[in-house]
Amino acid sequence: MRLRSTVAGGLLSLALLAAGCGRLPVEQTERYVPPDQVTDFHALYNTNCRACHGPAGENGPAMDLANPEYQALVDDATLRRIISNGMPGTQMPAWAQSAGGMLTDAQVNAIIEGMRKEWSKPNPFQEATPPAYEQPSGADAKTQTADVKQGQQLYQAHCASCHSGHARQELTSPIYLALISDQALRSIIIAGRPDIGQPDWRHDNGQLSPQDVTSIVAYLSSLRTNTAISAPPVPLSSRR
Amino acid sequence: MPRMKRDAKTVYNWLERRLQIEGPVKDAALHKVPRSTASWWYVFGSAAFTLLLLQVVTGILLALVYSPTAANAWNSLNVLNHQIPLGWFIRALHGWGSNFMVAIVFIHMCQVFLFGAYKFPRELTWIVGVFLLLMTLGMAFTGQVLRFDQDAYWGLGIGVFMMSRVPLIGGALVHFLLGGPNISGATLSRFFTLHVFVIPGLLLSFAMVHVWMVLKLGINEWPMPGRLVRRETYIAIYNRLSHEDGIPFVPGAFWKDLIFSGAIVAAVAVCAMVFGPYGPGGMPNPSIIQTTPKPDFPFLWIFAILAYLPPALETPVILVAPILAIAGLLALPFVAGEGEKSWHRRPIAVLTVSFIAVAWGVFTHLGTYTPWSPHMNAWSSDAIPARYTHSATPLVREGAVVFQAKQCRNCHEIEGVGGQRGPALDDVATRMTPDEMRYKVVTGGGNMPAFGKNLSPAEVEALVAFLETLHPANERPAYDGALRETSTHNGSPPPVTGSK
Repeated sequence: MRLRSTVAGGLLSLALLAAGCGRLPVEQTERYVPPDQVTDFHALYNTNCRACHGPAGENGPAMDLANPEYQALVDDATLRRIISNGMPGTQMPAWAQSAGGMLTDAQVNAIIEGMRKEWSKPNPFQEATPPAYEQPSGADAKTQTADVKQGQQLYQAHCASCHSGHARQELTSPIYLALISDQALRSIIIAGRPDIGQPDWRHDNGQLSPQDVTSIVAYLSSLRTNTAISAPPVPLSSRR
Repeated sequence: MPRMKRDAKTVYNWLERRLQIEGPVKDAALHKVPRSTASWWYVFGSAAFTLLLLQVVTGILLALVYSPTAANAWNSLNVLNHQIPLGWFIRALHGWGSNFMVAIVFIHMCQVFLFGAYKFPRELTWIVGVFLLLMTLGMAFTGQVLRFDQDAYWGLGIGVFMMSRVPLIGGALVHFLLGGPNISGATLSRFFTLHVFVIPGLLLSFAMVHVWMVLKLGINEWPMPGRLVRRETYIAIYNRLSHEDGIPFVPGAFWKDLIFSGAIVAAVAVCAMVFGPYGPGGMPNPSIIQTTPKPDFPFLWIFAILAYLPPALETPVILVAPILAIAGLLALPFVAGEGEKSWHRRPIAVLTVSFIAVAWGVFTHLGTYTPWSPHMNAWSSDAIPARYTHSATPLVREGAVVFQAKQCRNCHEIEGVGGQRGPALDDVATRMTPDEMRYKVVTGGGNMPAFGKNLSPAEVEALVAFLETLHPANERPAYDGALRETSTHNGSPPPVTGSK
């Protein structure tokens, strides 16, 4: 009896050993990939982007990348430029090694490819044609002159119903405007932010024309003044 | 069959006539030991020796493939892990065998200390044992270097930085150890030589001497309170114990050693199988800065102590403390070579061991979780919980972006994610008024650097606007009572621009 249970135990442990040798730790010891050779989109996104742009491209404090309208609005070259060199006037830093960041060009491309694959949807605008991503320059600019006064009226008509009330709700605060660029304002107005309920350029009160978008941005831009912002004095009572 | 037996006997006799080893082996195996030493407390020494043999065998197998050159070491470990059948298992056995050996050697030392076994006439056994301990740690450290990954590279870097603080000869010492001014191929050759030839050779010889003395002086009898050790009488008492109430070492005490050693080897095998080999982690390339190197477990406590030391104390502690500790261990049998053996009557000994064990445990735990190191990826990889910004104002949302982009997160946790260098900020608004936050951010203080020069006023304001929202829903944020009395804003946050 005793002998039999010993033999059975021995055989069992041998079987376990054999089973273990085949699989267990080989899976656990993943081969190390040097950080500049990681090209998996999820790995790259989770290390570099998710803190500001949200766990799955949305619900982060910064731009909603999972918004298919945004994906349709911005072309690869622009994305590459923004990721590589950062976005002036915002907190978006430069990620390319050529600009002092940590990512290689291949990794930047992998991120763009991954975003397209994950978040692009065919025909997000349906019949509508959105205003261009960038404010037109050159010949086109003549048809869309930025009109600050008109922008103010449009702001009141289209934006103020939500962006008003509590002092800090307003977009017109020079503090907020100092931290966001005209292009970023324009992108949000056109593509909206579905994750937080901000409509795109076709909202309830009607559709904004390209001219309207340009004017609203021009109005907000005219409020941006660095001289108005200075850190308020700190009262002595709070010194510690 | 009988003929084969006869032939074997002939061969044996031929060998025995020349070697004459049967007598000593029989003497060693059958010598009488006090009945009380056949205890489960007396198995750690033999287990340590068994582990040493395991390390030798697995080490030889690894050396067949390992290539001690800077260019190939890391690759050859990956070949072992992934291409050679069971190569990973041999590596895992060697790595876990090392952990177990360090642990068992320490347990053995504590047991010997608490049982008073270092007292007369076993002083030299203890002293040799201290050197065996140091060599075991030396093997663990040099082995970690041979793994030649990022942990190895930076661990070695820290080791030589410590050595470079030795007055006068520090630079020469470093040069000698590294085979040059920096960590290179020559360094790896040196550590290979140390790990494979020098230290194991010494370790095996010292272990032989250690065992020899155990055989000659007898295994320490079970300490009885009140039975004091005196140079004049001890030998007679011991001989009486082992002869009047003794049992032969084999099998009387030996079977417990055998079972325990077997169990330990099995435990090593199970750990190796379940947890797998150690690394190799990242490439040992100092240009890769995305790394958080950490020493192996025997040295984590040093890592923690160094992190907590004030800079002024570093050099004295690094250079003087080990010397004092080793000197103390070596002096122990001379200071307390006689007297009480039982832990029942040695409160200071028990307290010392308990204190060291608790301190070691605490520092190892701290070293494992490194709360003092910034979490360097937090700013770009740890997302702000969506509920914090979902219905936030645009300014608060910008503040959250500033919070991430300016890398506040690397030192401050939110919802348990992020660095732990500074306080968690989930309820910072209940502790600080906006003015206090502004002041703290701009001027720093305590451990926090001043960010005044790195943040624009708008960034500070946005950041504070975000921090102000960090309080539990049912708890009011902190406010400045005096300011509130005089403010026309009546409880609303103070105006951001203009005068108050």
